[in-house]
Parts: sequence; C-alpha cells; structure tokens
Amino acid sequence: MRDATSDSDPRNSNQHDWRTEIAERLASLRLAPEQEADLADELAQHLEDRFRELRIRGESEGDARRVVLEELDGEGSLASRLRDVVRRGGSTATLGTPARGSLAAQLRQDISYAVRTMRRTPGFTAVVVLTLALGIGAATTIFSVVNGVLLRPLPYRDPQQLVVFFGTSPEKQLAEVSFPSGLFVAIRDKSRAFTNMAAFESFGFTITGTGDPVRIDAATVSLDFFRVFGTQPLLGRTFVAGEDTPDDNRVSMISYGLWQRMFGGDSSVVGRVIRLNGNPSTVVGVMPPEFAMPDHAEIWVPLRLDPTRFNCWCLDMVGRMKPGVTEEGARRDLIATVDAFALSRRDVFPDKKPDDHAKIILMPLVQRIAGDTRTPLLVLISAVGVLLLIACANIANLLLSRAAVRNREMAVRCCLGASPRRIATQLLTESALLAGAGAALGLLFAVAALKLIRRLPEGQIPRMDQVRLDPIVLLFAVGVTAVCALLFGLAPALRAARVDLQTNLKDGSRGSASGGARRLSNVFVVVQFALSLVLLAGSGLLLKSFKRLLSVNPGFRAENVLVARLQAPYPRYGDAKMVRSFYDRVLERVATIPGVRAVGLTPRAPLTRGNPQNNVVAEGKEPKPGEPVVVSNVRNITPGYFDAMGTPILKGRGFRASDGPDAPRVAVVDETFARHYWPNEEALGKRLTDQGDTSANHWWTVVGVVPNMRHASLGESPSLQVYRPYAQQTSWTMYLMVRSAREPRSLISAIRGHVAAVDPEIPLYEVRTMEEAVSSSLLTRRLTNGLLTAFATAAFVLAAIGIYGVISIGVAGRTREFGVRIALGARSANVLHLVLQQGVWLAGAGIVIGLLGATWVVRFLRSLLFGVSAFDVPTFVVATAVLVLVAVVACLIPARRATRVAPAVVLRE
Amino acid sequence: MVQAMLDRELKKGSAELLILSLVEHEPRHGYELSKLIDSRSNGAIRFHVASLYPLLYRLEKRGWIEGRWVEKAGQRRRRYYRLTAEGRRVLAAQRRNWRQFVEAIARITGVQHA
Repeated sequence: MRDATSDSDPRNSNQHDWRTEIAERLASLRLAPEQEADLADELAQHLEDRFRELRIRGESEGDARRVVLEELDGEGSLASRLRDVVRRGGSTATLGTPARGSLAAQLRQDISYAVRTMRRTPGFTAVVVLTLALGIGAATTIFSVVNGVLLRPLPYRDPQQLVVFFGTSPEKQLAEVSFPSGLFVAIRDKSRAFTNMAAFESFGFTITGTGDPVRIDAATVSLDFFRVFGTQPLLGRTFVAGEDTPDDNRVSMISYGLWQRMFGGDSSVVGRVIRLNGNPSTVVGVMPPEFAMPDHAEIWVPLRLDPTRFNCWCLDMVGRMKPGVTEEGARRDLIATVDAFALSRRDVFPDKKPDDHAKIILMPLVQRIAGDTRTPLLVLISAVGVLLLIACANIANLLLSRAAVRNREMAVRCCLGASPRRIATQLLTESALLAGAGAALGLLFAVAALKLIRRLPEGQIPRMDQVRLDPIVLLFAVGVTAVCALLFGLAPALRAARVDLQTNLKDGSRGSASGGARRLSNVFVVVQFALSLVLLAGSGLLLKSFKRLLSVNPGFRAENVLVARLQAPYPRYGDAKMVRSFYDRVLERVATIPGVRAVGLTPRAPLTRGNPQNNVVAEGKEPKPGEPVVVSNVRNITPGYFDAMGTPILKGRGFRASDGPDAPRVAVVDETFARHYWPNEEALGKRLTDQGDTSANHWWTVVGVVPNMRHASLGESPSLQVYRPYAQQTSWTMYLMVRSAREPRSLISAIRGHVAAVDPEIPLYEVRTMEEAVSSSLLTRRLTNGLLTAFATAAFVLAAIGIYGVISIGVAGRTREFGVRIALGARSANVLHLVLQQGVWLAGAGIVIGLLGATWVVRFLRSLLFGVSAFDVPTFVVATAVLVLVAVVACLIPARRATRVAPAVVLRE
Repeated sequence: MVQAMLDRELKKGSAELLILSLVEHEPRHGYELSKLIDSRSNGAIRFHVASLYPLLYRLEKRGWIEGRWVEKAGQRRRRYYRLTAEGRRVLAAQRRNWRQFVEAIARITGVQHA
C-alpha cells in the first residue's frame, strides 16, 4: 500500500490539488500559517492515498476524484468539526503567540485589536484623541504660518542668495540707515561678493486718465533691479541702459495685479502711455503675479543713480551674493568696500577714521520680508511644541495608569506565549492609532484655524498668500504625530514588556501600578509642571507687557480722528506756493463740514510707516568733533494739527496762521527733546538748526513744548521730536487729520467731495480712523498674546489633570494603608496631609525645575516685552502661585477620598 | 438508512476505543487507521477525513495518543500516532467497560458474543 503512494507512481495525482481543497475548507478557522500547513499536509496525504486506491481499483480519474470529495464533505463541514479541536488547544494563533505570520498579518491583527480596545473605552479614547487633536491642530496651524512666512523659498531664482543690507547707527539711535546713491554706486562697482545688486526707493504715484484718480504704491528702481531677482517680465521687457534719464518716469513697468485691474489683462498694454502724477509714461513691461518687491509696489520706474549725490540717504539695497559666498563674507566685503571708499572721499566723510569700521547689517531677503512677525512666530511655534510635550506627558500617564489596569491582560498574553516585544509592538500600535486619530481631527482643526487666520486684515502677516496646508505642512503633521505616538507610547510599551507575571496573575492584584510605573508617572507630572510654568511665565510676561502698552500715553487721543492721505502731484504743482495754496483750500473746505472739530496736516501720521528725520542741533549744544548728533524726528505741520490729534500744548504756544513763509522761523519741540538739550533750563526761546545748514535764516526759535508722541509704534522708546510750521517748510504728500464730533468714517464722502472740488485729479487714499491704526498696530501682539495665553491655559489644565490622575491612582493603591492608619487612630487631617504632601512634592519639584527653565527661556522673549523685565519677579510669583493652587486643588479631591476610607470595609477585603 | 444509523451510533460510542486499540502495538498514520477499520469491520464501520482527524486531534489533545511526523526516503512525510502511557490506561478501562456493556446487552437480548 505504501508503495502505491510513491511519487514515482504514474497515477499519482497532483497533491497540490488536495492541499488546495483542504486549505479552502480550513480558511474560516484562521489558523496560524504553520499549523494550517501541518493540517493540510496530513489531510491532503489522506485524500491522496484514497484517490490512488480508487484508481488502482479501476475507477476513472474523474470518478475517483468525485468519490474522494464526497467522502470529504459527506459528513458535514470539515472546519466546524475541527474548530473545537484546533482552536481551544491554545496552540492556534491568538494574540499570545509569538509572531509567526507575516508582518502585514501581524499589523492587521494589532490594529484590529487596538480598535477593539479603543471601542471598549470610548471615554478614554475621546480624551486622548481630543487632547492630541487640539495639540497637533495648533502645531500644524502655526507651522503652516511659519512655513509660509519664514521657510517657503521666495519665488525668485536661487532665493537663498538674495540679501538686503543697510547701515546702522546705534549711537545716533538709528536702527537702520539707507544709503545715498553715490555710496551705492561705489559699493556696486567695487564689491566682489555679489553677482549683482540694485537700489530702490518706495513711494507712490497717482494714476490719472483711466477713470477716477487712484493712488498706486510704486518704487523707483535701478536698472539692474529685476536682474537681481532673476525674474523675467510676463509681457514686454524690463528697463534698458539709457532709460534712467533725469526727466524721470518716461517708461514704467506694471504689476500683474494692476494690469488685470486697470487694463483687464489686455496684452496691448505694452507701449501704452499712462499718466503718472500727470506725466506721460510708456508701459514697457508687465511683471508676473509672484513678483512682489518691494512690498506692495505695482509700478516700477527707473532710478537715476548719480555717483556724485550724497545728500539723500534714502536708497534701500538688495543684492544677489555670488554662489559660495556666505552672509558673513558678504557683510565683511561690504564693510571693507565702504571703509575704503569713505577714506578715499574725505570731502564726503570728513570724520572717517581708519579704525572706525562701517556698521552694516545684512540679512536674507526672506527674513527681511518676514520682519516683525519672525520673533512672535518662533515664540509661538516653540510654545505649541511645549504644549504638545505636556499633552504627551499627560497621555503617557493616562496610558501608564491604564496599563496598570491591563497588567493581567498582558500577563495572560505572556503566558500564552506572547514575547515582550510582541506586546510592546501591540501597545505601540494602539498609541499610533490614537495619535493617528488625533492627527486626522487635528488637521480638520488646522483647516478651520487657517480660514480664520486668512480673515486677518491684509498686511498684518507678510506673505499670507503663501500660508496653506501644503505637502511640507502635512509632512510636518505626520512627523509630529509620529513623535507624539513615540513619546507617549514608548514608556507604557516598555513597561508592559517587562511585565511581572507572577504578581499580576495572583488573585487580588488590584490593578494598581507597579513601583516603576509610579515613578515614571511621577516624572511625567514633574515634567508637566515644569513646562507649564515656563509657558505660564512667558505668557504672563507678554500679557503684562500688553497691559503696559495699552496704558501708554501715546501723546494723542485716537478716538474720533480720521486719517487720509493726499498728494499734490509734482510737477503739475511745481512749487511750494502752489502746493500750499492747494492744501489751504482743502483745509478751509473740510473745516466747514458739519461735525468737524479740528483739521490739520502732517507729512507722517502716527503709526504709519516712514519717519522723516534730521540732525537737529540746539544752539550752544553743538556736538564736539567726532561726537554723534542725536537724530530728531521732524514734522512740518499746520496750526490745526495738535488740536486734531488732541495733543495738549504743555508750554508756550502751538503754530498760528501768522507763522507764515516770511515770518520768523519757529519750532515746537516735545518734552523729550526739551529734557535732552535743556534738562534744567527753559526750552522756550532757545534756538535750533539743522546740522550743516548755513543759510541766512537757519535758526528756528522754540515757541512751544508738547508731550512726546508715539510715532512708529506704541512700544517705541520716546524719540526727540521737532515740529515746524508747514508754511515755512512744505512737502507735497501729506496726511489729513480730521477730529470730528461724530463717527469719523461718516465724514469720508464729504471730505472726498471737497478735495475733488479743489482738484478732481487728486485722490484721497489710505483712509482709516486713528483708532483702527492703533488697534491694527497692536494686532500681531494681540494675536500672539491670545494664542500664548490659550496655550498656557491648556498647559495648566493638562498639568492639573495629570497630577489629579497620579494622586488618585496613588490613593486607590494605598486604600488599605489608609484604612489601617484610620483604624489605628489617624485623623482626617493626618491622612489629608499625607496625600497632599505627595502632590505638593511633585508640583514643587516641577515648579523649581520650571523656574530654572523659565529664566533661561524668557531671554528669547525680550524683544517682545515692553516695560517689563524678562525676570519680572511678580510675574514669576503669580505663575508659581497659580500652579501651586492648581496642584493643591487637583490633589484635594483624591485626598478627601482617602480620608473617607472606611477601615472596617477595607480590612475585611 | 438502518445501516447509517447503526454506523453513527456505534461510531459515537466506540470510535475512541477503536482508534486506541489500533495504535496499541504500533504507530499508524490516519489513512492506515481508516483502511484497517474499514477492512476489519468488513465495511460496516467507515471513517472518512472529516470524522477521523478531528477524533485523532481530540485524543491527542487529551494526551492519550501522540502524533509524530515521520519522513522516509522517497516518500512524503506522514504523521504516525502512537499510544501514550495515559492512553494505555484509558484503553484498558474502556475495554473493560465495553466488555461489561456488551455482556449486559447480550444477557438481555440473548445475542451471543461472536
């Protein structure tokens, strides 16, 4: 018989057929692959033997096969008969078995098990997923802003080579100094670190002849400007040599946006003549939509670089570094070039000494564009990172305490043959699944949050159009999720892998955490408190700064003031007299509008960009040779300006109509200026002059003193300010300031009407209320504070939950001990004290570490603080007190539970 | 029909005894066992795959028999079952019970032991 089974027998059927038949029938049992293979081998061999026997007896192959299959299925399903035998034996694949199957099968198993576990504990799952969703959502949102504003490459060729540079003069209190064209030409021709560089100056044009007159942001740029960025025009060409003629603005380039808006995207725009400030200018090219330099410029005209001009330090510079040149290398090259030039031109730089090097700041263009948002963004992304760490510590603790409850489950699985590694993998799968669910929900949060952020007023966050959920942001979210899963999943997984079978299987084991797990939980609580303190202290400092900022007296009253900008276009308004006559008529007419209390003009309204400055010296206080002159802000204003701004005259008088062009020159100074030059003297009657002014009537007599006015921002340190009568020094572009008795916006159309009545080709632009200006100047701070406060609140809530959980579990594990103590006469107070002590120890350790950490971290906040030291003791005290209070309250609940332990019940158990 | 019923009833009560007896003196594989039962009962009792192997596994799980893979040159591997010490005790007890049962039936029905 055995011979008949030999493989060499010609009637041998294909054994794989039988194996397949068997395997199909066993599939529903889901056996471990190895076991299934054994069974199939044995049963297939049987069928094979039977088949061969039938064939030997003379049955046809088909009949023999039919008989064998009938016998196989004639007694009911094979699987159902085998189920009890092979399943219950414990040798089949339950979760306990060491990994035998493929990784994919194991993963499937782990995931389905994890899903079941999550479903069994919906509350726990919800808390974890929600905590993570908020954390990951916040992190993703802020990262997408960081990515768009700080990280995403600028849309120019090799953007990492693009830098801006400018001088700086701390001794003159000037953070940034632009260059004169003579100096720029020298640098451009001598410097070796740059492929090319360009100079530009921002200003604005009024376009007429295409409907209502409109004011457009513009820039005058040197011929190389577009070449520096490596951007080709969409239509037409850029400027060519010879177009930088003195009679400027003959040719112009326009932005994509302006082309669409004003010319409907008509490609015949190239060659068309537009009127800029009334002068004809031929459009030679249209730039592509992504080109946005500088700022919001929509028209570019050629800049004439005069190598002999040194009087206007007003050019900004941008350059492309040669490949391989570092920022520091480029900066040193610039310094050497400027030094060499200054020493060779004693006529322009008489005070230059060989060992006195030029002070130059050079930074990547992308950083320049991010501007003031850079620090707050970095602070926020760090804060959200800290918050995520706290959340992870919290979740790790939750998992640890649940692991304690699940100790027996783990032990049973170990007994069934699960390797520690297998159990750890299973737990990590659960963590990964929780993190994944949190991330999915978090991304939804991020989408919603980004929608809100996009609603912010334009111009608050640069490159806002670049902020979106792109692949890099998604990659970040995935990375953060993975790190979170590891952070909160690793500790419980490692603990579970070292599960102690004996103790855990013993009856009466209460599901309390082992000593090691408890220590780990304690560490997490300490970490949470430490990190929370850092966040609380940081946000406390910012909140206090903000409060200080709001209480700053800006030197004006913002309510009921309307601000609007006007420009008398040159050369249609060819001289100061024409300009004055235009503005006088505007002022006269606006003053007649019902509800207008006061109206004035200034070349720069507070909280707008730009700040005209001069080297003003006081008579008898001239700086000694080599000593720097302190620079003053200079504003040429009309008599109504102080009234319109609500600025009181502290001493003397304001300007009058009689301070005309031919009257004696007079000035009003602010108290900072008065204190600086005449700390113990009367400022009134003193005389001032511009450094270097040698004209006949160069003295300005001080006739009044006003409070310091915050010009660039509420947080700026008070600068020296000098006011002069507009009639004695005229500018073409002015801000109209109107104080009204009613809602200021209701005046806009009336004011527009009056301006148009004086000159229909002059538009009113940049119209807003002073209150809007103030609030928009605070918006970034408000946002930063709001977010940071939210993070800090979330942090200490999480810390509270964390310590509550740990103490609760501690109390649950010590019920018997408390019972005994109470039975032996311990009073409630003693027990309460015992429990609270543990909590206070943990919180205290965290707070001490947090205080040390905070003193190190707050230094990064310094540039955001106002009127508060980074080591502000009250803030730290309050933060500490808040956390101690939180800890005590969180511990009080389980502590009271401990005092209510009934000794009789506990001891009987 | 009657044959089938007898078959089922007898198998239920006696199957364990049959298997244990057949592996008492030498290890046998599954097909061999089914052939032996078939031939020695003259075809009255038949075990096919779906009934034989669950039974074998159950006996093995109880520790009465023990299966072992044996590979011989030129053949596929086969699983041979042998009686364990525990199985030997069970077999003795079952034989005793079976004999008492058959004798009791015989006394009542007058059917003589073959």
